[in-house]
Amino acid sequence: MLLPALAAGIAVLWGFRPQALVGALLWRYRWTSLTFVLLIAVSVGIGVGLIAQERGLRKGTARAAEKFDLIVAAPGSEITMLFAAVYLQPSDVPLLSGAVYDEIASNEQVDLAAPIAFGDSYRDSPVIGTTAQFIGHLAGDLAEGRMFAGTLEAVAGSRVDLALGTSITPAHGVGDSAEEDAHAGHEITIVGKMPPTGSPWDRAILVPVESVWEVHGLAKGHAPEQKDQIGPPFDPDYFPGTPAILVRAEELWANYALRSEFTRSDTMAFFPGAVLAQLHALMGDIRQVMSVMAVLTQVLVAAGVLTGLIILSRLFARRLALLRALGAPRRFVFAVVWAYAATLIVTGSLAGLAVGWVAVRVISSVVTARTDILVTATLSWPEFHLIAAFVSLTVLLALLPAFMTMSRHIITDLRA
Amino acid sequence: MTLPLRVEDLSISAPGGRVLLTAGRFSVAPGEAIGLRGPSGAGKSTFLYALAGLQPRMTGKVQWGETDLGRLNDGPRARFRREHIGLIFQDFLLFEELTALGNATLATAFTPPARRRSIRETAGQFLSRLNVPSDGRTVDSFSGGERQRTAIARALAHQPSIILADEPTASLDRATADLLITDLIGLARAEKKTLITVSHDRHLLDCMDRVIDIADGRLMTEAAPV
Repeated sequence: MLLPALAAGIAVLWGFRPQALVGALLWRYRWTSLTFVLLIAVSVGIGVGLIAQERGLRKGTARAAEKFDLIVAAPGSEITMLFAAVYLQPSDVPLLSGAVYDEIASNEQVDLAAPIAFGDSYRDSPVIGTTAQFIGHLAGDLAEGRMFAGTLEAVAGSRVDLALGTSITPAHGVGDSAEEDAHAGHEITIVGKMPPTGSPWDRAILVPVESVWEVHGLAKGHAPEQKDQIGPPFDPDYFPGTPAILVRAEELWANYALRSEFTRSDTMAFFPGAVLAQLHALMGDIRQVMSVMAVLTQVLVAAGVLTGLIILSRLFARRLALLRALGAPRRFVFAVVWAYAATLIVTGSLAGLAVGWVAVRVISSVVTARTDILVTATLSWPEFHLIAAFVSLTVLLALLPAFMTMSRHIITDLRA
Repeated sequence: MTLPLRVEDLSISAPGGRVLLTAGRFSVAPGEAIGLRGPSGAGKSTFLYALAGLQPRMTGKVQWGETDLGRLNDGPRARFRREHIGLIFQDFLLFEELTALGNATLATAFTPPARRRSIRETAGQFLSRLNVPSDGRTVDSFSGGERQRTAIARALAHQPSIILADEPTASLDRATADLLITDLIGLARAEKKTLITVSHDRHLLDCMDRVIDIADGRLMTEAAPV
């Protein structure tokens, strides 16, 4: 990718040593040069930052969803359910009945069928009702404490700022519309903490699904004689409903079979990864648009800089005329102006790499903080290719102002 | 190598066609020192630049030895300048951000590698002979005299046989100008260079072998009394 720039450099500079003169010009017009370098750096930095960030976001969202093999929910929007069940974005969705849950859980291909019941919250943490098996599947062994053993116990995500032993009362709903006192008197104690998962679940407080049903005054999923039981199996007759069920089968083909089986009039089954892939495909198109826009922005900035160079070259026209008066070939003057422009472009691009790296880290941390999806964007080959293409294109464009200085009148410039 | 100069029927015109300068027959022997004088706008610098092959619209002959600059294109003219001509300007025209040595060795940036070492050595010698500070300071901190001496070292560094100077003392005070005249004339004579200088400075013109007047765009080829 850099080959055109290198070839141009070799062809233009062959036989000459303009470094000292270019250094002198850079120093003499240091503030102008610095402005040009900063303009290039910012445009390159924004370009590579955007592309790296988009890739990091894609990877982060995919990583956050990778534990969610198959989601079964009431028919509706897969994307809405994806955001609600995987990324814990608040949403009102219909519930699946106990019969459906039982049908799924009793399917011989199913290894894990975990209800995911959302709708309550504590401060900025969603309170999710589920099972201990799901927590084990999602996060592995707990980082601290123990698994919940009753409806008044909870396991907190790694980013929940609550110590073990802290008691909370969940609010009904999420955000500004949450009813803080709706579940007054229902105090839940944090007994365990999950390790980081890099997903919004790190901000969640997980309780037994029976706890969610209990605080809403519903049946607790089990027959009255088993009222203290926590977790499956659930009794369909006492199963109040759940917005979503995470389903997992060991065999890949079984997951596909289950999706087919539960894609019907009263249920919707989907692979979050597949829905995400569709979203990413859409984002991929956006990424292409962003890439083109980033390149266009960079080229426009470079064109602005090169136009500035044409104007600037008039400022150092007298020095160039002096060189020619001393016997320098036209090609040498061409080489000096081109090398000056190339130095600005290469320096600006390298600085842009640094700007992009910083931007990526800052934006990643902001996105992670705001979405709880761990975004670890880094600069990679596509960004380096972009910069290489930018450098090659613009150093070739820099031949133009260099060419224009060749036709200037020596004596007119000497007398200027 | 020393080169005689022969000018014949020289005519230099402006872009619009207006004639700026004419000269009939004029010759300079190798090693001769010639002063060019005349009122402002008479065409002295125009003539000097024509002798350097810098004038684009000129007819007639400007012949240094066997080389007629009028017949050469831009590239060969530039090559002739970098091999045979040293130029000195009224306002020095130095790269302020470079040291004296950096300015005096400017030609190493565009001359073939084989000549670079020789230019560096010669530049160092002339800077030393002219007492130019060599403490690594950039020339922006130099006095006018130091700057012009740096410019002289630059003009001589590639060992040209011809020195063309355009008002070399005009930007200097009297005392500095006198010192510079001594240096310039002394070096030119010691090195057997042909020196042609445009000047209003009587002290400088007094040191010339001949002084030629230029008036109303015409070279008065008869030698005038100083």
